[in-house]
Amino acid sequence: MVKPTLVTNSIRSLRFANDEMTQADLADRVGVTRQTIIAIEQGRYSPTLEVAFRIARVFRVPLDEVFKYADEQG
Amino acid sequence: MTFLEKSNWVALIVAVPTLLVYLALVVPQVLGKPIAEVSWVQPMTFTIVAFIVANILGSIVAAALNPGEAPKKDQRDREIDHYGERVGNWLIIAGSIAALVLAMAMADQFWIANAIFLGGLAGALVSSVTKIAAYHGPFQTW
Repeated sequence: MVKPTLVTNSIRSLRFANDEMTQADLADRVGVTRQTIIAIEQGRYSPTLEVAFRIARVFRVPLDEVFKYADEQG
Repeated sequence: MTFLEKSNWVALIVAVPTLLVYLALVVPQVLGKPIAEVSWVQPMTFTIVAFIVANILGSIVAAALNPGEAPKKDQRDREIDHYGERVGNWLIIAGSIAALVLAMAMADQFWIANAIFLGGLAGALVSSVTKIAAYHGPFQTW
């Protein structure tokens, strides 16, 4: 019913590299709920392009440093 | 847990006993006497009103317990909400089609009303379960 996403991310390591930013802080700065940040971080939800850009902007890095698209299997 | 997820838990917790109370009031009658003599209008009205009131009160309590959380709703919440509603609507449509077929077959109004009622209640139940599952598992709209 629901396909697993091939999008991976490095939000967790970027948070720690940015003064151990909490998920709640990141959620506030991006404008989503903390639960959505948790779901994105765990790969359970792929954000919209707009939210993805907002996350990258918070960390002041290009989008492809936050999100990567894995090679399709099989 | 977001406010929307809490609201869905409230809907689920309310829908199950509501359905059980209705069935407990009506099923023994259906088994024991002719359909024309079954008293179903009052239990159904009571069940619908109780379901709506309990949902509203539950949502008010959930909002009061976490006042800062209630207005927060993002893209994922909206996508999960639409997805759950779409799944639940299939049961509502199924109930309506069943009612249409029963009306065409000149069935007793008891069966027609119950097809619509149970389709609606089952739709609400499945919609809530779908949304709660989407909050906890992988969720993509594509």
